[in-house]
Amino acid sequence: MKEKAIKYLFILLLIVFLIIQIYPVIWLFIASLKDSVELSTTPFSLPKAVTFENYKNVLGDGVIGGYMWNSLKITMISLVLILVLSATIGFALSKFHYKHSKKIYSFFMFGIMVPVQITLIPLFIFYSKIGILNTSMAMVLPQVGFALPLSVMMFVNFYSFVPDELIEAGIVDGCSPYRVFLQIVAPLARNTMITIASMYSILIWNDFIFANTFISDSSAKTITMGLKDYVGAFGNVDWGATYAAISIAILPPILIYFSLNKWVTSGMTAGATKG
Amino acid sequence: MGVLRDKKAFFVFLMPGLLFYLLSVFYPITESLRLSFIKWNGITPQQFVGLDNYKRLFQDPVFYKALINNLIYLVIVVIIQLSIGLLFAVLLTYLKKRANLVKTLYYVPCIVTTVAIAQLFRSIYSTQPEGLLNQMLSAVGLGGLTTSWLTNLNTVLGAVSIPEGWRFIGMYMVIFYAALVSLDESVYEAAKIDGATELQILFKIKIPMIKDILLLTFTMCLTGALRGFDIPYLLTNGGPGNASELMSTYMYKQAFTNNQYGYGSALAVFIIIESVLIIFILRKIFENYDVKAQKKAAKQALALSKRKNNKEGRVA
Repeated sequence: MKEKAIKYLFILLLIVFLIIQIYPVIWLFIASLKDSVELSTTPFSLPKAVTFENYKNVLGDGVIGGYMWNSLKITMISLVLILVLSATIGFALSKFHYKHSKKIYSFFMFGIMVPVQITLIPLFIFYSKIGILNTSMAMVLPQVGFALPLSVMMFVNFYSFVPDELIEAGIVDGCSPYRVFLQIVAPLARNTMITIASMYSILIWNDFIFANTFISDSSAKTITMGLKDYVGAFGNVDWGATYAAISIAILPPILIYFSLNKWVTSGMTAGATKG
Repeated sequence: MGVLRDKKAFFVFLMPGLLFYLLSVFYPITESLRLSFIKWNGITPQQFVGLDNYKRLFQDPVFYKALINNLIYLVIVVIIQLSIGLLFAVLLTYLKKRANLVKTLYYVPCIVTTVAIAQLFRSIYSTQPEGLLNQMLSAVGLGGLTTSWLTNLNTVLGAVSIPEGWRFIGMYMVIFYAALVSLDESVYEAAKIDGATELQILFKIKIPMIKDILLLTFTMCLTGALRGFDIPYLLTNGGPGNASELMSTYMYKQAFTNNQYGYGSALAVFIIIESVLIIFILRKIFENYDVKAQKKAAKQALALSKRKNNKEGRVA
């Protein structure tokens, strides 16, 4: 009896914590469906009348679409570069015989420890010199650079499970190292690629610090930067529109998360625990 | 290591990525170091000033304020993330059926962008219109505690720390949970048979057994908190005054608002030194502790298995 009571208590506690964890996010979506009068009088109840007015306002001026496009562009280009570069670096470091491989690997791993803030000033100066501030390129470069250490680590981990005999067999059959990589090894790395892609698509989409530093021009702004402007842009905070904009902005990561859940969490926890 | 010996192919595979990495991670670090010895506002020629930036750093009252704030911020974030994360994880191990669903949902705040979280908490803390926090306080009869959380000098630092702590509870929970469920059940089953209570099992067996993970999460948490930037920057930008100033927000302000690139770089270098130092100290503490703990755990496990064997012997 007592044990059962304790068990129910535990479950109750879990549910209370669960509410603390996700209620704010759910509330955000609910609040975005209320009109501004209701929002200011009864902000935390369920909406009496569901309205899409806020979404219409936000999407109507077309600004947010541009922001989304910028974010999408940066995320996509970065992802492709991260996958290609880390897959090849990992291959070089784990399947080639080269005496400094270990050192180069440690050099990459050192990057996991580096706080991104330290790069902001030098990159800002460098970008303004070569004139790529306010372009997607300015965002892609650090995103890829900082994603490489962890992605390389994941690929090296994966390649250690690819038997050397497989590669030898390919070479004996007359394949060049490039063909071995493209036709034998890379297709095997599908899971590693999905893990890296799902995790970094979320992290890059969500980035704030690089965008805030390197981008000020509204035509190049990313969605997270755009959100920051919402409060100001509507004069005295239009919370309804702000919530709608936030909901739109966080929807893609949430969709990716719920559809690729296993990969996202495994990637992020691996990333965190290796840092 | 490695079977392929084609040097040219090796470099073809390695170089593009290495160049990217050198340019976007390694070059900025060396450049930060160089800039920290230079006085420069971005327009006039750069002027080598030796250690002046660092001297100024140690005479700057705002620097000390930011350092102390950062330590408080760190303590709050670490306590929230590790204690609640561990508690969640322990509770979750008693949930047999829906553990995965709960885990998935707990994790959601980790994937929401910091900008959204900052806006969310801004509205929770707001006074005009009355935000969630003040409404709840009034509702439970603590109306006297309501305040303007982000402008009150006494509450602002706590108010910017909590969102950061809250955000990653789910991640630490997932890590702890994975560690807890991977433990060998037979060890504490034996203790249970011997009449150990659940709490004893938890504190005497389970938690000591995941010590490695604790070190890891501790390191993560501390370095994460030392880098804390997004949410404090977005919520208050260090204000009011410097009441919630952190190292990184101060660095950012010096560099990009005051255009003091040299001084900002000195602050950035300080952040790196600080992080490395903390990781180093933590490793040392745990190494000492670990040796002792391992001996103790080995002893306990031995005692347990002996007792278990005895029991099984008796049953047979």
